[in-house]
Amino acid sequence: MNLDQLMDLPGALAAFTYTDKGDLTDHRVREGSEITPEVLDLLAHSCVANIAIATLEARGWEALTGQKGFEPLQGFSMIGLEWSAVVTGRCGVIVKNRDVNYENTFSAIEACGAAQHQGAA
Amino acid sequence: MHIVKQLMAIPGVIAAGEFAYRGDRFSYEGALTAEFARMASILCRSNTVNVNMQSEIFDSFAENCGYKPAQGWIVRGAQATVCNIGNYFAFIENRPELLNDVMTIMRAKVGDIGDDLLVNLYARIGGDVKEALY
Repeated sequence: MNLDQLMDLPGALAAFTYTDKGDLTDHRVREGSEITPEVLDLLAHSCVANIAIATLEARGWEALTGQKGFEPLQGFSMIGLEWSAVVTGRCGVIVKNRDVNYENTFSAIEACGAAQHQGAA
Repeated sequence: MHIVKQLMAIPGVIAAGEFAYRGDRFSYEGALTAEFARMASILCRSNTVNVNMQSEIFDSFAENCGYKPAQGWIVRGAQATVCNIGNYFAFIENRPELLNDVMTIMRAKVGDIGDDLLVNLYARIGGDVKEALY
């Protein structure tokens, strides 16, 4: 799964990859959308932060409550007014809320993240 | 039907609840103890504050880019997922189509979250919230 394939998801406005530090490495933006490379760069940094926080919360929750099933995290989504950002370790996609299929999108970015990981190895 | 009861009627929903934006109250149904529900409410409120702060930053770089005001967030785990829209949360199992169904119901029942969310989140009990925030 690559960025061009992510852009084929229903309602996809942008797709991007980033480093472990949140630096944008590649991106695609749908023509006519309001998404800018500056927003994607900020978003990539927030993705790293949010996934780190979510991992902390999942690990803490499992340890404190004994409820399992959260780790390892598959991804995180931030839901805005018009679009949602769905992200995993090194890969993210922005999808219109009215078209989004969260389950398919999480599966797609997981595949993209795995491909990024393999490429980096 | 109240949103929490509606969510709990769906097979695979572990627990659902509502927290006060001010952080002083919560209610829930499902397989959580009262203490775990309190912790879940704190966690959800904290993440909601976080994504709203981020939405303000995005908006300062690209006004009207389509993100602000933040509506919620999802943490997708290996076998379970936490969904949050506004001040409602749901812990669900990862079953086919369940996440999409839960999100559709939450977005429809809670409605669009307005720009006053941050004011409510940062309100001091009994204080002048506008003055406290701005």
